[in-house]
Amino acid sequence: MSVRPTLALALALACVMAAGRADAAAPGAASAPPEDRLLPVDQYTSDKARTLGATHREALRALNTGIYHCMPWVELQKHSIGFFRPKGATADFRYLTLRIYIEQDPSTEFARFRIEERASGMFSRYVGPLLRRMTKDPAILGDPAVDGFTVILEWMKQLPRAAGERPVHETIAIFIERNVAREYLEGAIPIADVAERARVLGFDGETALGPLRVAVWEDKFVATFKVSNYVLEPGVTCS
Amino acid sequence: MRSMRLRLLLVGGVLGAVTGCATGEEWTTWKTHPTHFASGEHMFFSVRNREGAQAQVTRQDITLARNEGWWGKPITVSQDQILER
Repeated sequence: MSVRPTLALALALACVMAAGRADAAAPGAASAPPEDRLLPVDQYTSDKARTLGATHREALRALNTGIYHCMPWVELQKHSIGFFRPKGATADFRYLTLRIYIEQDPSTEFARFRIEERASGMFSRYVGPLLRRMTKDPAILGDPAVDGFTVILEWMKQLPRAAGERPVHETIAIFIERNVAREYLEGAIPIADVAERARVLGFDGETALGPLRVAVWEDKFVATFKVSNYVLEPGVTCS
Repeated sequence: MRSMRLRLLLVGGVLGAVTGCATGEEWTTWKTHPTHFASGEHMFFSVRNREGAQAQVTRQDITLARNEGWWGKPITVSQDQILER
């Protein structure tokens, strides 16, 4: 039987709601995302990274919590936030990194686009808002040891076609130098310029596709999209 | 227990099928943008309760629903293909 994950999740969500909220936190207490979304400080391989990880721990926790509550349609896996070094970097360049999985149907309309177009669409939707979230604490952008930002966006490309098969994800990794991010966040350049000056790598499942050229536009999706009937927990605000 | 779970799944399916439509606001959002490809969340979070009033979906509901609707370990790029620690 072919069932889209969205339908499966709808069923599961309906079941969860029908079954009551026995697992929910006590009224008034906001749930928290798992702490393991952050790379532990002792798992970095350089003093520079360990210092960054320790110095900005609270900012990273706030980033994790903010995405958990305010962008509930995306998911963070273990060790998705940290000061990682882009693979193959010639020095110990440390980029504040965030990897998210965007939960959406693999639509035929979207699938008909070329990979560069899909990457452009995802870049347009998410990179600007995520950069703002990643730098909500001004100490991040003010720290000269932060060399840049990496945003990794992942979505489902293909459902399992037969029993025992696994779903396939498509991923883009975007590397943005600190000065470019700063110019964008200060309003000096549009997101299209960020895309031109960023390095974007594509992946089809586990296969590297190499650098992608993207054409990006201002997109208000993250600011305007609301999950139906979603209510923020007491004490949580999203801005 | 198993049959109870199945019954709940069926009830959920009917509920989802009947109420799984995008709201006007969501469609407006779609129409505002040239690439309306993120359709999934529009449907699978559109669950309303049976009395007509809108059900409230909490963050924990979404987490639990994800756990139940999991499709298995995906084929995807590993962190160490992109990043170093």
